[in-house]
Amino acid sequence: MSRLYLYGVTRPREVEERFAEQGIFLIAAEGCAAIVSDLDEGPVEATRRNLLAHADVVEQLHVEAVVLPARFGHVLESGEEAFELLALPEIEQLLERHETTCELTLKGTYEESVLAEVGAELGPLRAAYRAEPSVDAGIALGEAVGEGLSERRAHDASLVLEGLGPLIIDLVSSGPSGELAAFDFALLADRDSVEPIAARLEELAARLSPPLHFKLVGPLPPYSFVHLTSPAVA
Amino acid sequence: MQRESSAGYLTRAPRSSGLADVLEILLDRGLVIDAYVRVSLVGIELLTIDLRVVIASVDTYLRFAEAVNRLDLRAVDDSKSVPDLFEKGGEEMAETKTKGAVEGGMDAIKEKIGLGGRGGDDDEDEERSGSRPRSGSNDR
Repeated sequence: MSRLYLYGVTRPREVEERFAEQGIFLIAAEGCAAIVSDLDEGPVEATRRNLLAHADVVEQLHVEAVVLPARFGHVLESGEEAFELLALPEIEQLLERHETTCELTLKGTYEESVLAEVGAELGPLRAAYRAEPSVDAGIALGEAVGEGLSERRAHDASLVLEGLGPLIIDLVSSGPSGELAAFDFALLADRDSVEPIAARLEELAARLSPPLHFKLVGPLPPYSFVHLTSPAVA
Repeated sequence: MQRESSAGYLTRAPRSSGLADVLEILLDRGLVIDAYVRVSLVGIELLTIDLRVVIASVDTYLRFAEAVNRLDLRAVDDSKSVPDLFEKGGEEMAETKTKGAVEGGMDAIKEKIGLGGRGGDDDEDEERSGSRPRSGSNDR
């Protein structure tokens, strides 16, 4: 019995030679196929190399056609399990939903100058801190800056989402992940919408930058939009 | 792989250009079939660590206050002498270090999986585009 590492699910098709040489193959059922490779006993290590290899496989195969990427570290104990997985009705539904979609990650980050903009309205607190840069005065000023920054984040994030409007099919927002982070979105869009979205972001940048910087990654497989609502029961 | 718009405020990458881009996505998103989950990761604690930096902290507030004050002074102080510039440069460096400490949690995670903290993007790209012997989780 051979264990299999699961990269994701796709439509039945040929696998590029480059991947075939790496031991990656498809287990095909009716209308869908599991992307797998043989796996020895032992744990799957979350090394940089393994993580990037997983991303490489699902992203490359997604260039040609729909791929539902599996979470990293998904192991099937046998080929049988691959067929059970492929037989789930939701797999077909997800494949249909994502036939022409892609995920884009969009992160917004502020330059430090945003703090000066936010602080511009905090004259008395700034003056107090400058007169006596104590911990208490610093916390009072910093807290007010933090609140102002939160408002600024919410404001800019909603401007961006409004600006993108119907180009976006679905959205997962993760909340900012750093002091000067503005937003962190996973966007689901049609593949044809990628360039219009980039063009819209250029327009938004003209209004919001500086201090806001955008980073757009994709088209990626729909990592954030392949949630199974009724996972199979063993 | 990455390109910037003329104004430079929109950075684009057609694919995830390094581990930083895919780390959370790969560990936290993606298809999961409960019945078949055999996620036997070494360092599975990765999954349980909240990767999000806690934003509201006293340290953050003090850093914000210091930054606002410094930016204020810079705006007022048009005539910068050379010693001034040195001094400000020093402050900036100090601030970068403190920031590093705050984000240390994420860095520690990255280090654990071989990303080696920040600034590793370049060699990630190399690795990504270079030839990889066997794509998979088999290598250990």
